[in-house]
Amino acid sequence: MPYLAELEKAGIPTVLIDLVEETEKVRHDAVIYGIPELRLVEASRTLIGPEDVDNIIEDVIGGLLRPLTDKEEKSGKWAPEQPRIIFEGTHDEAKVFFDQSENIAGILDAPFAVYTDGLPINVPTEDRVKEMLTGTSHKPDEVITLQRDVEMRGMGALGGGMTRKKGEVVKYMPMGRTATVEQVAVNAVMAGCKPEYFPMVLAIAESGGGTGDGRGGGGGFVVSGPFYKEIGMNVSYGRFSPGNPPNKTIGRVGSLLWRNLGGYKETVSTIMTYGSPSMNGGFLYAEYAEGLPEGWLGLNEELGFKKDESIIMPAGSSQGGGQFWMPGVYRALQKSGHGAISRWLDVKGIPGPHNFLDYLCDGMWTTREGGVTLAMVPSIAKNLFDLGFKSKDEVYEYIYKKSFEPVKQYRMRGGPDFFTNGWMGIEKTSGKHWKELEDDYMVPVCPEPRANCIIIVHGEETVLDRFQGGHGTAWSIDTWR
Amino acid sequence: MAETEKVHKYLNPVGTQEPVDTSPLAPRLDTLDGKEIYLSICGEPDITIPLEKKLKMDYPNVIWKTKKTYNIAPIRISEEEMKTADALILGVCW
Repeated sequence: MPYLAELEKAGIPTVLIDLVEETEKVRHDAVIYGIPELRLVEASRTLIGPEDVDNIIEDVIGGLLRPLTDKEEKSGKWAPEQPRIIFEGTHDEAKVFFDQSENIAGILDAPFAVYTDGLPINVPTEDRVKEMLTGTSHKPDEVITLQRDVEMRGMGALGGGMTRKKGEVVKYMPMGRTATVEQVAVNAVMAGCKPEYFPMVLAIAESGGGTGDGRGGGGGFVVSGPFYKEIGMNVSYGRFSPGNPPNKTIGRVGSLLWRNLGGYKETVSTIMTYGSPSMNGGFLYAEYAEGLPEGWLGLNEELGFKKDESIIMPAGSSQGGGQFWMPGVYRALQKSGHGAISRWLDVKGIPGPHNFLDYLCDGMWTTREGGVTLAMVPSIAKNLFDLGFKSKDEVYEYIYKKSFEPVKQYRMRGGPDFFTNGWMGIEKTSGKHWKELEDDYMVPVCPEPRANCIIIVHGEETVLDRFQGGHGTAWSIDTWR
Repeated sequence: MAETEKVHKYLNPVGTQEPVDTSPLAPRLDTLDGKEIYLSICGEPDITIPLEKKLKMDYPNVIWKTKKTYNIAPIRISEEEMKTADALILGVCW
């Protein structure tokens, strides 16, 4: 939309063709970028192309030729009211106020929360917000900006590579709003956070607050460094279960920031596909660096920070693939060479350590592309170390090398039509255009070794949680203390 | 007064929206003939391929120029191209 706004303001008339149910979102964006009367024509998601074109072509041409109406010729200002105090009353009255919802036509008139993630909240009185602000040395009216130059890293196959400068004001999408430390504190109170969690909440806010490009879903995050211990995050059994206040409340913050700072309103300011069942309510976990084998780096060190520095990294919650096993099957493999993995590796009756990575990777990319993040308990990491993997990077490289397949097979996948720009781009291992490659040329389905990631977590149950892979951008928690 | 009856002030959780100056649309064209019109294609080739064909067939007097990507972000026309561009049609991502 900024592009169309730029053209219209430069005197170049435009017409946008969108898809029917996106119109409310387009109208919304047009206001934000200062061309509220943008001309658009709605195409269909279901009609066959030529038939659809026959239906719309007159309107497309008409949009360029039809003289402007009085309304289209007007300039003006859009400035919504933004009081600091939004409500006065008793706690019960405030609860009703903050619990309000509105029905949205685009989701079949289902109610959508005006100020919350749909759950009841802790009402943000001045006193509670003031107490939250004791968790940081930053001033309440400080606008959230980047605290250092940041190299944006793409997660998996998606983008990255851009450097953003210290001091840049953080914009929360889809509305492109900004926020102060106090506004973030209001949301932290609502989520049920304690003041000691607040530096992490501010780091989440600096990262964009889980708003992404407006479809961020509230974000998922992994924590590395000693901060997890200071606030009592559960990195052990049940780390993805209910019961641990920091995991649950900080995990929830992203949804509130997306709603309130970003202005997410389904089908109105943003059109999601269908959301993520594993992110709805928060996806947050932390690294147990105490369990790293000798010489293996913590995530903070992998991303350029020191061992005693605490960071968050946005993290994907979608499930990664590979062969599944019950914890006892893994134990049987390494203790005495029994069970399914032993049979597959043909090491029956021989005690470990055995390299289970081949088993893990078998079929890992059958139905998905990209890397994998492994939440790995210390004993599994120790087995890999004893087998000769002296760093996480050696494991990443091993997994990457397992992912190659012929171009002929790769072309059948659903993702690369998009990632390769319709096969018009360059394949990076060969430096050639995709369309010039022979069918039997081998390409990686995992785009690079660091599209994989290992997070050490506590526990003795020898399973691997697998998530979407990659090393994203790190955001310092310490800078917000 | 009981705690439940106490009146409090509650802070606004909504972020700061900078005011926006809204602009009129650019003047429209009086004719298509001889005009340089860009078709900026991003996504949905089922629509944009037949659209490009039909525009070129039905409006042969237009100087059609195309910017094409399979991705969702349109390929921008350059500053140099803006100097001679008369109009632009964008579809279907924005």
